Formats: sequence, C-alpha cells, structure tokens
Amino acid sequence: MSSDISTELVGDHVLQGGAERRVTTIGAPSFSPLRLLGGVRKLVQYRDLLYTLSVHRIKVRYKQSVLGIAWAILQPLSLMLIYTIIFSYIARMPSDGAPYAIFAYAALLPWTGFSNALTNATNSLVSHSNLVTKVYFPREILPLTYVFAAVFDFLIASTVFIGLMIYYHVPLTINALYSLPIIAVMMIFTTAMAFLFSATQVRFRDIGVAMPLLLQLWMFATPVIYPLSAVPRRLLPFYLLNPMAGLIESFRQVMLYGVRPDLRLLGIAALLSMLLLVAFYIYFKRVEATVADII
Amino acid sequence: MRSLRLKFFVAAMIDLKFDHVSKKYMVRQEAAVGASGNPLVRKLRSLRRRARPFWAVHDVSFEVRRGEALGIIGHNGAGKSTILKLLSNITTPTSGEIKINGRLSALIEVGSGFHPELTGRENIYLNGSILGMRRREISRKLDSIVDFAGVRQFIDTPVKRYSSGMYVRLGFSIAAFLDPDILLLDEVLAVGDAAFQTKCLERITELKRTGTTIVFISHDLGAVERLCDRVLLMERGEVAASGAPRDVIAEYQRRAASFTQTTSQHTPQAGGESKSAAITSLTFHDATGHETNFSRTGDAVTARFEYEAREHLKDVVFEIIFFSGDGNLQCQLTTEPGDSPIALEPGVGVVEFSCAELGLQPGIYHLDTVIKHRDAPTAIDWQPRCAMLRVDPGKLVHGRFYLPHSWRVTQGAATKNGTHADQSFGELASRR
Repeated sequence: MSSDISTELVGDHVLQGGAERRVTTIGAPSFSPLRLLGGVRKLVQYRDLLYTLSVHRIKVRYKQSVLGIAWAILQPLSLMLIYTIIFSYIARMPSDGAPYAIFAYAALLPWTGFSNALTNATNSLVSHSNLVTKVYFPREILPLTYVFAAVFDFLIASTVFIGLMIYYHVPLTINALYSLPIIAVMMIFTTAMAFLFSATQVRFRDIGVAMPLLLQLWMFATPVIYPLSAVPRRLLPFYLLNPMAGLIESFRQVMLYGVRPDLRLLGIAALLSMLLLVAFYIYFKRVEATVADII
Repeated sequence: MRSLRLKFFVAAMIDLKFDHVSKKYMVRQEAAVGASGNPLVRKLRSLRRRARPFWAVHDVSFEVRRGEALGIIGHNGAGKSTILKLLSNITTPTSGEIKINGRLSALIEVGSGFHPELTGRENIYLNGSILGMRRREISRKLDSIVDFAGVRQFIDTPVKRYSSGMYVRLGFSIAAFLDPDILLLDEVLAVGDAAFQTKCLERITELKRTGTTIVFISHDLGAVERLCDRVLLMERGEVAASGAPRDVIAEYQRRAASFTQTTSQHTPQAGGESKSAAITSLTFHDATGHETNFSRTGDAVTARFEYEAREHLKDVVFEIIFFSGDGNLQCQLTTEPGDSPIALEPGVGVVEFSCAELGLQPGIYHLDTVIKHRDAPTAIDWQPRCAMLRVDPGKLVHGRFYLPHSWRVTQGAATKNGTHADQSFGELASRR
C-alpha cells in the first residue's frame, strides 16, 4: 500500500457470504505514519510476489549463459586475483598480517554484493516500465528482489571464501557469528540506498549513468583493498560516516582475525542504516504514487 | 462514523466508487529545435518553464454495484484508460477519492508481465503473483489455466518460443482464473482469433454470472452492448452520458456523427477561418434514404458530405477515408478518378457517395473527410476521425472484406456437339 492509499483500519475485513473483502481507498498522494504502516502491510500481502520474482531474478540471470551460476563466484574471485597481483607483487599493501589474497576477498565478497545489488536495483523501476505502467503491485518489490538476488550470489561466492580459509589455515572462531548481524545491517543499508537511487532514476536517468563511477569512488572510500588501519587517524570521523566502511571492516575482522567487532561502530552503522531506510522508503512511496506518469 | 460509512457501503453493495475524481497531467512542451545553441542552457530553461496542465479526468463520479458490468466508451483520449489506471492503482488521482470493496484485478495488456526467458509454468506463477495471487492459489488453478489456454504441450518451454497466439491465450487465461471480486478489462478482446475471443466472452459472462463486478473498456461497441448492464460515455475527461447500453451507444454515435460537438476536440487545422472550403457534415443514409449510423455488410449505403466553399475553387477532390477501430486504413471513397474536374462556386453544396453493396466487415469504422486540390499535397480541409459508421453482420464475410458478386452454375458445358445444357441462376446473391 503506497503512501496514498490506506486500508480502513476499522472493520478492515468485511464478511460477505463467508468471503473476506477488503475496502481500499485511493486518494491524492499524502503522507502519514499510518499510511507508511499500510505500505508495509501491503508489502507483506504481496510477499509471494517478492519471493517468486527474486527466485526468477536468479534463474533468469544465469539462463542462456555457459558458465551459469559460476559467474557469481568469478566476479569477486577475478577482482581478488587482480588486486592480489597489484598489491602483493607490484606494490606492497599492508594487510594486517593476513595473506593479501584472503584479506582482499573477505572485503570483495560483501562489496560485490552491495555493488551489484545497487547497480541493478537503481535501474529496476525503469527497466520494468512495461510492468509499472500496466499492473499495480508495491513497487519496492522491484529493487528488493535485486537485493535478495545479491544475497544469493553472496552465499554462492562464500564457498570460495571457505575454501580460502581452509587453504590459508585461518581458524573459524565463535566471533564469526557476528557476521550475521553485520550482513543484516548491510542489507538494510543496501535496501535504503536502492530505494533512493531507483526512485530518483525514474526522473533523472543521470543516476544510472553515474552509478559505475560512483561505486568505483565509493569502493576506494571503503576499506576493501586496504585496511582501516591505513586511514589517517584525524580523517577517521569523516571516513566512518560511510556506513559501508564500518561494516566491511567489521566483517573482515570477525571472519579473518576472529576478534569481536567494534560494537560501537556497528551500532552507529545499524542506527544510520535504519534511519536512512525509513527516510528513503517514505521518499520511494512518494515517488511511487505518480511513477507510472513520468517513467 | 467510520463504521457507519462502512455499513452503508456494504448494505448498498457498492463495489466501486469514484467520488469527484480528477487527474491532472503536466504537459511540458519540448523546446523548439535550434532555439538555443547550448543543450545545457536549453535543458535548464525547459526545467524552469511552467508546464501546461492537462486534465485527463475531471470531476468524475460513478458507482458500480456488486455483480454489475459497467462499460466505458469514448474517443481516444477521452479519459477511459486514465480511469482504468486510477482504478487499478497504477497511478493516483490529483483530487477526489476512489473506494474499492474487494480484490481487484486488471487485465490491461495481455502478457505484459511475461518474462520471455521463463517457461509457461514459471510465467503463470510470476504473472499470478503480480496480479496479487498467492502461490498456493495458483498451484490449485494451474490445470484450469493451462487447459483454457490450450498450451499444455508447451508448458515447460520458455515463452519466447511461443507463437503470439499462445502468448495471448496464456495471458488471458491467467487473469480469467484469478477469481477477483472486481475485474477490469481493457481492450483485451481485440486479440486472439475468433474462436478464442468467443471463449473469452463466455468466460467473462460466466464470471459475471457468479457475481464478479466487471468494468469493461472497449472500442468494440458490439461487445460492450452484449456484456454490459450500464455504459458510461466519456468525453474530454468528463462523463458525457450514462445509462442503458443501447441508449448511450446511440448517443455516442450521434455525437460522433455531428461535427459541431466533435470538431472542437481536434486541433484547429492550419488556416483556421481562412480555409477556402470547409466540410460541414457527414451523414450516412440507407437504401430508403433515412439517415442512419449503422449499416450491414452487403447493404446499400450512401454517404452524404456537406461542404461550404468560400471562394472559387478549381479541380477539387472529395474523399472519405475509413479506418478500423485499431487505426488501420481500410479503404477510401474518392472523386479523384472522375473525368470532368469538379469546380466549386462560393456557397454550400452536397456530395453523395453511393455504394450499392457495402463490402466492409462488421465492426466500427472511424472516418476522415478531406477536400483537396487534385495535385496539391495539403488538404483544403481535413477532418480526422470526424464520424463513425457501425457495420453489423449482413452478408457472410470470410476473409478480409465482402466482394460484391453474383453467381451462375452451368452444367454439362463441354458436351460433344457443343450445345449448352445451361442452367442459369441469374443474379442470385449469397444471402446468409
């Protein structure tokens, strides 16, 4: 249910010969917290579409490609190889004592997920304009399916990570369980950004064009190919305004070094991500009300 | 207060309610080519320029009762499709309120939710969920959907390998088995072959009988008349007429035939008042000379074309061009091949085109009328889509058109002595 629609909360289900009927009211676009709740409820109502579309996203992506699902592994793996060659043979990059290959892969794994999800999600409304102008469903499903597809790719590519850990004799500790909340926060942040970019892309196609460049810059502003310890101390407060910085560093710490993450860092990232999610969801729903007219 | 309103809602069994709904679009005019050298400057200017408002739907109110079938007709651009988009929540109104009681499914374009790489089965699930169905529900109805579409053999083939007919059939079947409380249909019957169209109509009739509320938007006035209990005529975003199908359709045809009401819809032709001649009306007459809005295949019909010339004109040509509902050129009547050039004196006049046997297939035809100089590229006056003619089934048509013909059987023609055992049936026509 978009910001402009509210299901009557009183007497929501009208019994009529045993069949449930729901009264829907559609009015001019407006915003109230109640309507935001209605939006979430409509999304829950459409959860089967979210599931079906996410599964199909994965299926379609690898249909008619020779390597199929192996692409999910190849992308972070080849990036890891390139950076390893550059930063451990050509230039020396500190890696906090871990072999550079696994050091880089531990960050490239979540980063490629984030980057792919965002690139695809940004275009999701525009690339489905034939659907958006013909059928109603909660539009946030479109960017969301790309986030879920990226999580699936992440899991596939994780097998290589496990292989690397065995190869380099990296012990798995109980602290590795922290990776679950870290990934959850990362998904929240990715979703928030996906809402922002996909809704803006509808009116300003510049966003889609700028995306590869933006993500490139963003990666260099995140400790992916270098450790957080290499960042000058006085720059840190600004540096950590980027939630991805804290998240990627935390993920590497719990998986590679088996230490507890900086919970304050994680907490700030989580709080920021939640706030952004709510703000950008409201923005998204606002755009959704007239998206079919301007797409 | 709220529950009171709700009680009323249920008691009156109103499934759909449009309450003073308006929808405004902002139409921004593109900058003229070469207006400014720098594209960036042009872009910024166009952003600043105020867009012109266009009311696609203006202050429209209506209600649809449970189990009722409402038809919406009108010219292209009259606001029909906007109403459908508002009802299905694809877009939101600028003002006013829409109330929907129950689950609503819209079939706006068949198969628009298909993904070519996925198989028929996967697409049924995908499309079903887009239309708001649960997976469980779809699994339960899968067999009926597949059988209705007649694609069982290809159900695990990617739909990109489907013929366009299979594509359309599958698309309609999914929507037809959704079991919505309210079903919106937009021109869906314009697709598929005749056999499948009949099947679709039967299915819709069945849904209607079981209490589904239907909103049907179509140019196919015949289907509207057969299917609907009530019809709404839209004109320029407003409800122009509403009532029994026969009356409203007749009203639509009457309006379409008279210029005074429709010409204002067209953008003024180049020249405007300075036109040297103008078309003032176009009417159709049957064999007895009575004015009519419909004819039948094979019947005699006369098109009467009134004009007003404002100056002396040499060598002019009158034309009437027929378009089918989907906008394809069908045929034209013209005075062009005449031996003696037509010269016009200032004043009014009439041109009559007579067809002994109308060769058009049953359907609705939209007409353009033209006055032009024989060799000039631009028309003196051109009235696009200014009138409409309904052709009802008359003589049998198999194929694209009815060719007026007679027939004669001659038996034993090649006998030795060359005599003809002639059995002539004369000018008997193949009446249905």
